[in-house]
Amino acid sequence: MNVSAENIRLSYGAQEILKGVSIQSGSNEFVGIIGPNGSGKSTLLKCIYRILRPDAGQINLDGADLHSMSVKSSALKMAVVAQHNYYNFDFSVREVALMGRSPHKRTLERDNARDYEIVEDALRTVGMLDFADRSFSTLSGGEQQRVILARALAQQTPCLILDEPTNHLDITHQLQLLKIVKQLDVTVISAIHDLNIAAMFCDRLYVLQKGEIVGCGTPEEVLTPAFLKRVYQVDAELARDSSGQLHVLYRA
Amino acid sequence: MVIVGLVAALLCSVLISITFGNADISVREVYSVIFYELFHLDRFSGYASGAVHDVVWLIRFPRILLALAVGMGLSVCGVVMQAVVKNPLADPYVLGVSSGAYLGAAMAIILGIGSFLGDNAVGVLAFAGAVLASFAVLTISNMGGRSNAGKLILAGMAISSVCSAFANFIIYISQNKNATAEITYWSMGSLASAEWSNIVVFLPMMLLISAAFWTQYRSLNLMLLGDDTAVTLGTDLSRARIVYMILASLLVGFSVCAAGMIGFVGLIIPHAVRMLFGTDHRRLIPLSALVGAIFLIWADVACRVILSNAELPIGILVSIIGAPCFIYLMIRKSYGFGGGKS
Repeated sequence: MNVSAENIRLSYGAQEILKGVSIQSGSNEFVGIIGPNGSGKSTLLKCIYRILRPDAGQINLDGADLHSMSVKSSALKMAVVAQHNYYNFDFSVREVALMGRSPHKRTLERDNARDYEIVEDALRTVGMLDFADRSFSTLSGGEQQRVILARALAQQTPCLILDEPTNHLDITHQLQLLKIVKQLDVTVISAIHDLNIAAMFCDRLYVLQKGEIVGCGTPEEVLTPAFLKRVYQVDAELARDSSGQLHVLYRA
Repeated sequence: MVIVGLVAALLCSVLISITFGNADISVREVYSVIFYELFHLDRFSGYASGAVHDVVWLIRFPRILLALAVGMGLSVCGVVMQAVVKNPLADPYVLGVSSGAYLGAAMAIILGIGSFLGDNAVGVLAFAGAVLASFAVLTISNMGGRSNAGKLILAGMAISSVCSAFANFIIYISQNKNATAEITYWSMGSLASAEWSNIVVFLPMMLLISAAFWTQYRSLNLMLLGDDTAVTLGTDLSRARIVYMILASLLVGFSVCAAGMIGFVGLIIPHAVRMLFGTDHRRLIPLSALVGAIFLIWADVACRVILSNAELPIGILVSIIGAPCFIYLMIRKSYGFGGGKS
């Protein structure tokens, strides 16, 4: 699915958070949004997944205007894995994942065998099927985040939005989660903090700084020592490991 | 499975509890009256009228049905309020909603406000008081940042005190001995005023609203995840929240109007059910409704038999049981929606 956001503006009071930001993603592309803290990454994504309403600008999903869609139909087009939150209730893992089916349901429609199958597949994909009957609140942060990903997969949408989903996760779980996402056949738009992780998974990067796009391209094009100095004020060099993977090496 | 078992338990509770009471009536006589009324069999026509018939059919039976309806209504109301405010400590009594209803009823009984509504005045004003109090509590607890457990309880206490104070003020200045006695009696909760004429309105109402909430189980589940997550899952809850609060207030208003103030049912029952069966509202709503109904039927039986020749107001008994449970829930470290750490 193609997602495009054009000229998005948003202010909190007098402070302008997004100053006319435009991004696009092609079908099945993994697009990363990077930038320093407070640059507006999360705010931009929240506009796209409808938690915030931009003051100006246009967001289209496959050419259709997002804000004239019902929240139900947009939930059929994009699923969201947000920053990790601790939930405190006694839903089982299966029940949490099953909630991903709710946009497919009418008010009085019951969950059928097909829904349970989809949920099992989603849990299997994220490696949490064995935990299906465990209480969600007893899981570790990484496990909870995988269940939330399973919920998003159960939504069966052509687009997945990741809002710094790997915050607070250790490196094992960061890589594990993004590997699962990378293997999916969907459009992904993700805010990513860690530049090495971004280089590893993204087809294309957008760089946000103070509410403006200041760079765009493949990781190789975007991540240069001069660029890192300008945007992040750090000295760094770029290197490739034996497998050809790009790495950012920081200097104190 | 569990639901079927509880429905059976509820039926048994109704049939067994009807044999308890101060009047000395044998079990055989009780069922003879019921069989006569239900099936009009000639064999039992000897029980078609008389003292035994009146006690069983006009006093005990409506009373048990009222207990069933109030227990069901308050429990479902507790479940819904806890989801709406995303806080496991919510309950019509704790949130001051019952006190709002109390104030409304006091205004109707003593000041005669809304007398143009006829016999329904007390009910309508109790309902209005419940709705106003619940919105006042929600508004206050959302002031200056997001609502949390502490703010919600404090706002509930404040609204509760204000409503009780105004109600007591009205009672105090009225100098109307009869009305004062009526209010006092009413504030302690009692099912003794049950009559068929209000049961036929009240019971279907409770069943209907409870059933309506049952159909909303998906939205209630999503409410616990938060409004933002709900939007990404295709449900906008802002309007649902207000509708649920109004329906829940309707349940409280009717309960308070029919049975006075009965606290803690809406808190204890949903928690007990959650601990045993989890938070999924698809099960939580019907199970809480059934358990609440059974609980109040037996609490009422206890009220009738604990004191010889007198009756304990049910509000007192339930509070004696409920308040310690509430304190236990509050001090438990792992307090939450039945979940693990908080």
